[in-house]
Amino acid sequence: MKKRTLFFRIGAIVILLAIAAVMMVIGRGHTVYFDNKKLEYNGETYDTPYKVCVYVNDERVAKLYDKERGMATWIGQNFEMTLEITQEKGGDETTETYQITLPYNMDGIVINLPGFLAGLDQDAYITEFVPVATEETTTEEEELPGDEFGIDIDGDI
Amino acid sequence: MSKQVKAKKKRLTFGQFLANNSVPIMFILFCAVCIPISGFSPSYLLNEIVTRMGRNTFLILCLLIPIMAGMGLNFGMTLGAMAGEIALIFVSDWQIWGIPGVVLAMILSIPISILLGAFCGGMLNRARGREMITSYIISFFINGVYQLVVLYMMGSIIPIKHSEIKLPRGYGIRNTVSLLNMRQCIDNLLAINVNGVKIPVLTFILIALLCLFIVWFRKTKLGQDMRAVGQDMEVARDAGIKVERTRIISIIMSTVFAGFGMILYLQNMGNLSTYSSHSQIGMFCIAALLVGGASVDRASIGNVFVGVTLFHLMFIVAPAAGAKITGDSMIGEYFRVFISYGVITVALIMYETKKRRNKSMAGQELAAAQKEEAQ
Amino acid sequence: MKKEQQDNIWGPAKFNREMKSLGELTSSFGLPRMIITGFLVLLFLLAPVAGVDFFTQITNVLNRFSWNAVMVLAMVPMIHSGCGLNFGLPLGLVSGLLGATLSIQFGFTGAMSFVMAIVIATPFAFLFGGGYGWLLNKIKGGEMMIATYVGFSAISFMCMMWLLLPYTSPTMVWGMAGKGLRTTISLEGFYDKVLAKFALDCNKICGINLVIPIGTIAFFALLAFGMWAFLHTKTGTAMTAVGSNPVFARACGINVDRIRLLSVIMSTWLAAVGILVYEQGFGFIQLYTAPNNMTLPAVAAILIGGASVNKASIPNVIIGTILFQGIVTMTPTVLNSLIHMDMSEVIRMIVSNGMILYALTRKTEGSK
Repeated sequence: MKKRTLFFRIGAIVILLAIAAVMMVIGRGHTVYFDNKKLEYNGETYDTPYKVCVYVNDERVAKLYDKERGMATWIGQNFEMTLEITQEKGGDETTETYQITLPYNMDGIVINLPGFLAGLDQDAYITEFVPVATEETTTEEEELPGDEFGIDIDGDI
Repeated sequence: MSKQVKAKKKRLTFGQFLANNSVPIMFILFCAVCIPISGFSPSYLLNEIVTRMGRNTFLILCLLIPIMAGMGLNFGMTLGAMAGEIALIFVSDWQIWGIPGVVLAMILSIPISILLGAFCGGMLNRARGREMITSYIISFFINGVYQLVVLYMMGSIIPIKHSEIKLPRGYGIRNTVSLLNMRQCIDNLLAINVNGVKIPVLTFILIALLCLFIVWFRKTKLGQDMRAVGQDMEVARDAGIKVERTRIISIIMSTVFAGFGMILYLQNMGNLSTYSSHSQIGMFCIAALLVGGASVDRASIGNVFVGVTLFHLMFIVAPAAGAKITGDSMIGEYFRVFISYGVITVALIMYETKKRRNKSMAGQELAAAQKEEAQ
Repeated sequence: MKKEQQDNIWGPAKFNREMKSLGELTSSFGLPRMIITGFLVLLFLLAPVAGVDFFTQITNVLNRFSWNAVMVLAMVPMIHSGCGLNFGLPLGLVSGLLGATLSIQFGFTGAMSFVMAIVIATPFAFLFGGGYGWLLNKIKGGEMMIATYVGFSAISFMCMMWLLLPYTSPTMVWGMAGKGLRTTISLEGFYDKVLAKFALDCNKICGINLVIPIGTIAFFALLAFGMWAFLHTKTGTAMTAVGSNPVFARACGINVDRIRLLSVIMSTWLAAVGILVYEQGFGFIQLYTAPNNMTLPAVAAILIGGASVNKASIPNVIIGTILFQGIVTMTPTVLNSLIHMDMSEVIRMIVSNGMILYALTRKTEGSK
């Protein structure tokens, strides 16, 4: 009886830990930025298409001309996007779906689209984006949708 | 003897029904007066009530277990709320978003809740007969410890990576932590829209699961033990129940569920006020439960739902109605706080007077019995 | 059994107990109190290291002691009569605030406004205290929890009243609306420092930065002496008897309910005077939710001083207030200059609530 309860307890803890581990992997959120910008890599220049429309989860998140940047959020590492590319102005659109495995440790990921389309290495087209200067902007932000119990009478010292 | 009691119970008249449910009836009347004055449309009110129900019910349900064990209103549920908040801070630092984030936060909160619950339960075992005031002070004490951890240790001893949630000085957590990435993720999944009223089905399913759990738990061996302890500690001890252990378990369960409830609450709010989200939550949950007709020693799931509806209805309409009547919006705000405190006060007084009356009645009966025996 | 209790109540044995060995003294002093005292001593030792002037610190501690001591004294009667810790202190504070605001409203100025504030506050304190005492007699055993919520209800009710009552004095109401009291009201021209200005400045005498607020301390000493004298009258000893053993007291023919009612009224009145003394030192009247922040420090202070849930004395008040206010004033300055970290708020929370928790969970002294 004692052994059985112990066994069940350990089992429960293991299961919870397993769920937690799974959640940590599948729930990792990333902010993905798309750069439609010339890329110099190993001495070669990868030029930009005229216009790229980015669809994530069937939703258009960005319409990028040269030197423009778009943004999307994604949960998990198997990032999937559909690109609608117009090479020349007035030219035909080609639509294709791509999958990228995102690096786990990056919060903000910049994907350089020309580099990606040219089929380069991940290292070449992915860079980390670190938001800067949050100090001033977030210290005294505008009130977010606040607590419903607006007035606080604390019984506290 | 027991037959007499039964006969008495059957003769519950309408007047007694009124007396037993005086608080909810008062609230219904109050809301009935205030709703037309406030000028809110029924659909707006319905929408608000449904949202608040989804947000708060889980938290209120966690109060039922200690009441079952005779430990009164668990003001220490704030401890669970703090455990949930610590878990959410970690999850938001690790950038786990959406439903996985919520699930992970819940799992993370469990060990913290158990630890705090065990502490609280142990303390309450040492303060028998004044559990409520002790749990109330415990919530303040642990709040101090929570601030020590969150304000001074996080970022200096406990690693926090992202500067977005840290204070500019490099350690300590900011006043608000954005939970935008998991905002209403549970509420929106499976949500249905009925005539413009959004019903967060998944949240209600979770609440229903907790209700079912409580109903089932009452029938288990442990649940029966708890009720026995709640009825009479000494009798339970004679029957071979480990009273102290049972009481600690009831508090731990309540704390763990409070942690879950707080995570659900905050995912609905979409941001975490690090130092104030939990401070009032216990008070308002307890007030809501009491408004639903519960008392310190008896509370049912029905009380929870009636309470959450009526209390939040009052909370929505009182400021607007107060502003219309007196021309000052603050009056209504103060008024609803006054009502919350007042309800708790009245409920506590009613409970204590009833307890005394029963005691003196039992004493008189005993004296009468002794007299008969002597003759 | 009965004899021992009797001894406890009526005096001589109690005196003997205090004369016991040092070891027992520390154990009765309690571990938390030792830690707090040790912490305070450490702070004082660190003060020169931190570059903080020792005597300025002493002055601050004395000042804060003189402001707060009367409120802590308000705990004594109710603890004595067995009503537990007076978490319903806000009721008294509210009557004090009513006295203060009405006194200004009626146009009293200077020292007269202080006297009149006390005079006006008195009937309110008797009224509120009477109702509160009557209530506590109905619910013996559950006093502390209900007292807490009675206090909260009173404060939130008065929050509405401060807005609604027809105050007109331009120094107190909001300038724009012309009605509704301000959250803080300056006492300049009224009873600001009315007691505190009688101070002994040691700088002139012996060249140290020590200012002793004799006026306020004397006022407290007067009240404390009154309390001590009262506790030695017939009614006072009866009160102690009620607190130690209500059954025995009833057997002695003491009207328990009446004594308890009296103790509650005394507590409430002292709280009302206490807030006025605090205000004259602080220089402002704080209304609305501010009185909430007074209760727990007062409760914690008397417990730190060595009182328990059902036993308290005047020395407890004095020691407790000095220790508690010492920590409150010393931690921010000393810690701030030492490690550039203001942890005072957190330390204060943990110390005061931990102390109350400790008192509530001590098994030996259960008030039923």
